[in-house]
Amino acid sequence: MIHGESIFIHVGQIHVDRAPGAISTVLGSCIAVCLYDRINGIGGMNHYLLPFWNGNGLQSPKFGNIAIPKLIESMLAHGANPKTIEAKLFGGASMHALSSDSMMIGHKNILVAREMLKEYNIPIIAEDVGGQLGRKVQLNLDGGKVLMKYAQRSEK
Amino acid sequence: MNATEIPEQHCTALEEEVAFLSHKILDLNKQLIESEKAKSRFLSLIANELNNPITALLGLVPHLACDHDKQPMCDLVQEELLSLNFRIQNLVAASEIENGEVSLSHSSVNIVDLIDEAQKALRYLFKNNGTTLHTDDRLNRTVVTDPQKLYLILINILANASMYGTHGTEVTVLIEPEETMVKIRVINRGESPHVNLKPQIFTRFAPGPGAHGLGVGLSIVRELSERLGGSTDYDSDERSVSFIIRFPLIESNGDSEACGSNEFLFDSFDDAIEL
Repeated sequence: MIHGESIFIHVGQIHVDRAPGAISTVLGSCIAVCLYDRINGIGGMNHYLLPFWNGNGLQSPKFGNIAIPKLIESMLAHGANPKTIEAKLFGGASMHALSSDSMMIGHKNILVAREMLKEYNIPIIAEDVGGQLGRKVQLNLDGGKVLMKYAQRSEK
Repeated sequence: MNATEIPEQHCTALEEEVAFLSHKILDLNKQLIESEKAKSRFLSLIANELNNPITALLGLVPHLACDHDKQPMCDLVQEELLSLNFRIQNLVAASEIENGEVSLSHSSVNIVDLIDEAQKALRYLFKNNGTTLHTDDRLNRTVVTDPQKLYLILINILANASMYGTHGTEVTVLIEPEETMVKIRVINRGESPHVNLKPQIFTRFAPGPGAHGLGVGLSIVRELSERLGGSTDYDSDERSVSFIIRFPLIESNGDSEACGSNEFLFDSFDDAIEL
C-alpha cells in the first residue's frame, strides 16, 4: 500500500524523494536504477534509454553514464549517505527478439548500470533485467521495496 | 558439433566483445564528461540566477512611463529584454534537461495560438530582419501535448528561420496531420545551414558561421521533440530550408482522459513481484 503521491517518470527524468510516496515508470530496453538509503529513508529512480552520451547534444540523463552519476549526486544532495545506499536494477529487455537486435541496447544498458554502480561502491541487492518483456516498476519510498510487473507482449 | 551450439557460442562471444567495447567507451566517456562538467554547472547556475530578475523586469518595463521622446529608448529596452529572456529560457530548458527535471504536462493545445505567441515574443527580431510570417493550418483542430515544450520548440525554430533566412523574406509554417503524427514544417528562404554537417546541427555549442545565438537552441529542440514522443529534422533545396517537427497526434481532451485510457500505466500492482 502506497501512502502519499506516486510520481511517474519518463525517459531522461530523475526523481529523488523521501517517504511517503512512490516513484514508478515503464521500461522496455531502458533501465531504471532504483537507489534507496534505508538509514535516512531517501529513495530515487532514473530512467535511461541509451548507454552512452557521445559528446553531442545536451548531457541529458537519457544516457546511462549521465543518468547514474546524476541520480547519485541528487541522492547525496537530499542527504543520503553514500555508504548506506543500495541499488535495485530493472529493464534492459531485448524488445526486438524476432529481428536481429544488432545494437544490443538493452544488454549495453545493463552493463553500464552494473559498471557504474560498482565504481561508486553501491551494492546491487536485487535486479530483474534482460529478457524480452517490458516491465512496470514502482519504488515505495517507505522502506525501499520495489513492485514489478511484466508487460504482456502483444502478438500481431 | 550440434547445430544449436553455434549460435549460442557466437552469441556469448558477441556479448563478451560488447562488454569489452562498452567498458572502453565508458572509460573514454568519463574524460569527456569530466571536461564538460564545469560547462554544464555554469550553465545551470547562470540559468537559475538570471531567471527571476528577468521575469521581474519583463513584468515591470511595460509599465514605465515613456513619453514621446523616450519611446524609442523604451522600445529598445523592451527589445533587448525579450531577446535576453529568450536566451535565458533556453538556458533554463537546457539546465532542466541535463538535470533530468523535464516533466510533461499535457493539455489541449491550439498550435496556431502558440505560433502567434512566439511571433509576439520575436516581434523585434522579425522587424529587424524584415521577416513576415505565414501560417497554413491544415490540421485545423487542437491536439493534446505539452504546450510549454511545444512553444519552446516553435520559438527556437522560428527565431532560427528569421536569423538565418534571407533578409526581408517570408517564413511559412505548415501544420498538417501525417498518419498518427502532427507535422509542423517551418520553411524559410535562404541558404541551407550546412547540410553536410547535419549531425552537428543539433549539437550544443556548435553554431554555424555568423552565429547569433548560444548554440543550445537546436539541441533543446531535438531533446524536447523526443520528450513529446516525436522527432525533429531538416531538409533543404537551393532556395529554402525546412525544419520539420513531428509529435503524436492525440485529440482526446486533457490529462485525465489520456491517463485514464492507459491501463498498463495505471492499473494496480496486485499481482506484482516484490523485490
